Amino acid sequence: MGKHHLGEFEEVVMLTVAILTNDAYGFSIIEEMENRLNRNVSIGALQTVLRRLEKKGYLTSELGESTSIRGGKRKRFFTLTSSGKKVLQETKEQRMGLWSAVPEFVFGK
Amino acid sequence: MNKSEQPPKLLIRFFRWYCNPDYAEDIEGDLLERFEKRRVKGKAAKWLYAIDVFGLLRPGIIRNFKKTQKLSNMAMIKNDIKTSLRLIKKEKLYSGINIVGLTAGFAIALLILFYVQFESSYEAYNPNADKMVRITMDYLDGETLVDQDCETYHVLGPMIKDEFPEIQDFTRAFGVDDMQLRIEDKYLRGLKIYAVDQSFLSLFNYPLLQGNKKSALAAPNQIIFTESAAIKYFGTTDILGKTVIGRESYPPLEVVGIVPDSPANTHLKFEMLVSYSTMKPELDERESEWNSNDTFTYLQLVSATQYSLFEKNLAAFSNRLREEDFIPEERIISEKITDIHLYSDKSYEAEPNGDATTVFFLLGVALMVIIIAIVNYINLSTAKSLDRAKEVGIRKVIGSSMFQLRMRFFIESLLMNFIAGLATLIIVVLAWNWFRDLTGLVLSHEIYETSFFWSLFLSLLFISTLLSGSFPAFILSSFQPVTVLKGKYTHSSSGVFLRKSLVVFQFCIAIFLLIQTFTATKQLSYMQQKDLGMKTEQVLVVRAPHNKQIKNLGPFKTDLLSQADFRSVALSSSVPGQNTGDMSSTTNINLKDAIEERSNNFFIYRIDSNFIPTLEMELVAGDNFSQNNNIEIPIIVNEEALVQWGITNPEEVIGKQSRFWGRDNTIVGVVKNFHQISVKSDHLAMIFLHTLKYGDYLSVRLNNGKILDQVDKLEKTYSRHFPNSPFDFFFLDQDFDSQYKSDLQFQQAFSVLSLFAILITCLGLFGLASFTVAKRAKEIGIRKVLGASVSQIITLLSKDFLLLVIISSLVAFPMTYLLVEQWLSQYAYRIDVSFWLFAIPMGIVLLVACLTIFSRTFKVSNANPVHSLRDE
Repeated sequence: MGKHHLGEFEEVVMLTVAILTNDAYGFSIIEEMENRLNRNVSIGALQTVLRRLEKKGYLTSELGESTSIRGGKRKRFFTLTSSGKKVLQETKEQRMGLWSAVPEFVFGK
Repeated sequence: MNKSEQPPKLLIRFFRWYCNPDYAEDIEGDLLERFEKRRVKGKAAKWLYAIDVFGLLRPGIIRNFKKTQKLSNMAMIKNDIKTSLRLIKKEKLYSGINIVGLTAGFAIALLILFYVQFESSYEAYNPNADKMVRITMDYLDGETLVDQDCETYHVLGPMIKDEFPEIQDFTRAFGVDDMQLRIEDKYLRGLKIYAVDQSFLSLFNYPLLQGNKKSALAAPNQIIFTESAAIKYFGTTDILGKTVIGRESYPPLEVVGIVPDSPANTHLKFEMLVSYSTMKPELDERESEWNSNDTFTYLQLVSATQYSLFEKNLAAFSNRLREEDFIPEERIISEKITDIHLYSDKSYEAEPNGDATTVFFLLGVALMVIIIAIVNYINLSTAKSLDRAKEVGIRKVIGSSMFQLRMRFFIESLLMNFIAGLATLIIVVLAWNWFRDLTGLVLSHEIYETSFFWSLFLSLLFISTLLSGSFPAFILSSFQPVTVLKGKYTHSSSGVFLRKSLVVFQFCIAIFLLIQTFTATKQLSYMQQKDLGMKTEQVLVVRAPHNKQIKNLGPFKTDLLSQADFRSVALSSSVPGQNTGDMSSTTNINLKDAIEERSNNFFIYRIDSNFIPTLEMELVAGDNFSQNNNIEIPIIVNEEALVQWGITNPEEVIGKQSRFWGRDNTIVGVVKNFHQISVKSDHLAMIFLHTLKYGDYLSVRLNNGKILDQVDKLEKTYSRHFPNSPFDFFFLDQDFDSQYKSDLQFQQAFSVLSLFAILITCLGLFGLASFTVAKRAKEIGIRKVLGASVSQIITLLSKDFLLLVIISSLVAFPMTYLLVEQWLSQYAYRIDVSFWLFAIPMGIVLLVACLTIFSRTFKVSNANPVHSLRDE
């Protein structure tokens, strides 16, 4: 499955989108990531990754309603596609497989 | 929200510019939301906003403007070039007319602009030129100007330098053309020699090729040769230290230097320079007196900006001299030497100067010719718009942008101009020698070796492409695809009006040029045929031998007149048509018993008693000079002199005396006015003194016979009596007519120009007529089927165009009248503007236009209507 290998940042972004389910748009994703992971995310980096993931077919997006906040600009909501879900699952399983293969004494108790 | 609560506008615009339009909206919203949040938290929101905006400058986000658009433009340009070339090949008539027209326009504009540049480049070789002024004299009668003279008093140069702090240096240039030189036993006369102060070389920027700059021209009896004079007279430039004999009784002159030849674009050209002090014995008294103003005086200002100050000071200085009675009826003025060639036309100029009016006339005409060519292009391409409309429509439907469409038309015009440009280069190279002869340009290099030529060429190409391309580019690209493709589009009425006005404009120019050409031709022949008051035909003029041999004049005359070929011989110090420098001029000559003294300027030269009969001048009162009329100092005056004195009856002055040059002169005769200088100027007031043996010219009237034999015989007789004197001769009538050289050049240049203007205009008309005829082929067919005759159809097709030509004449006439009047006003004796002067050129233009249109319409009108009607 090397072809569908996800980068770390990509994985995090996809997970955040999954967490936010119906409210995943650019700024909310950033906020969520900043809150949960305590890391600074630039809009540039995020948007690039979002577009890339969309191109790969892991995410889809659609524009929401225009509101008076945000200067009337519409939000673009992202959701996971089924192949996106599948690739996340696979990644998780790979990690789990790896974790379970680690001998117990390595981390001690 | 106030301003500080919003992200910086510039950054938003920047973001919108670079961002992929698909993403722009939501990302901008995100940016704003984040900005809001940070602002509320009191962070440096604007800075962070900026960081975000620049952080978004990544390949995935920015739009695609680089790759696709530029690449496709290159491809489009390639395609444009290809289709334009195909079009040029296919539409041979259309492209042929355009290219020929543009080529002719370019070639003419290039050559003339080159000429104009040369004429206005006088003295440009001299880096001091902007600081140099020449002082000249105005002769006044009260406050009215009588004459202007560019020679001044010898004292003025040193005086002004001492008195004016803004004057750095001066030099005098005293023409000693009458000096003869003896170089290795050869006597040379008629040389261009000036006696100059030592500062001359630095003021006029002549570096010494050989010789010592410090000592050259510092002492008397020194002479400097120009390079080519040295080669001409010595055969080598290695002549430093050699001596030449000047005046026989003077010490010999030592060659102390060689300078480069005078450039073609200086008004003061010379072959040799002698040190000013060489002339000291002659000039001694003049150095202190105010009687002879016969030297050029040039001054160098400390800086060019002080010219107006100097002018003011000079006026005050001149007034003071006038009040102190040194120059009672004169005024000293100055002119920049850079203005001399084009603007100065005074007595005793160093050489006949150019004329700003002519230069501007030519410049204007060159521009007109090129405008005509560009108008042709515009006219033809808009006339063809019908053909092109469909193309434009389809291009638009397929998705061409306005920019691409315009580009397409620009590329087409660029190609046409480029081809025309190449043809122009060939023509210019071929025509260059002819043009140089026509204009008398003296250049040391070929035209295409100058950077000026190339920059001119390129800028002309650029401007013409822009002008000729922009119009079709904007008109044709503005068609609405729907209208055009529905087939509804025929032509826009505004386009027709514009085309018609442009045709009128072209014909206006053509008619003006032709009328001006006619005027110039008639004026020239008027001047050449005008009664000069003497007969210049069949008169050979020979330079008189140098002073020592003139005593052989008597035997020479007897010998000559014993031969049947020669009727008479006269000796004089000038002859008609020669430089005014051969004459003396003296101001304020009045009759002794005159009631009021008048200011005037007389020209004086010496003649012997054969002069008047030899040139067949007419005496209106009194007698010719003769040896036995016992009058001590007899003079003859001309009619113009009587005008100056206010006398109407010539008999009145016979026997009266006039005092000048410190002696009493008695008037013995009045000669009818004749043209001492060309008919361009008015008659001069003249006085003749009697001479037996002083003179520079021998005028010989020939009997009928073979001219070549006669010249041969004359030369043999001359060299028998005057060995060592070179035999220099010219025909008086030819020499006199050579004064009209510049007029002849102007007339020829104008003829060529108007010929081209008419040619290009008619080419355009031909093209337009072709399109009209092609467009109306079906209509003509139907008309013929219905019974219209050939002549009716020709009239139908031609009358619109001929109407335009007639309107053009009506528009052109008033402007032309003013310009022609203005041009003629520079001549003292001129033709009147007559009806025919306008009617004939207009008739010619009308005829040519008729023929042009006829050549197109005749074929169509005669064609079998079946051909035009069979296919639908």
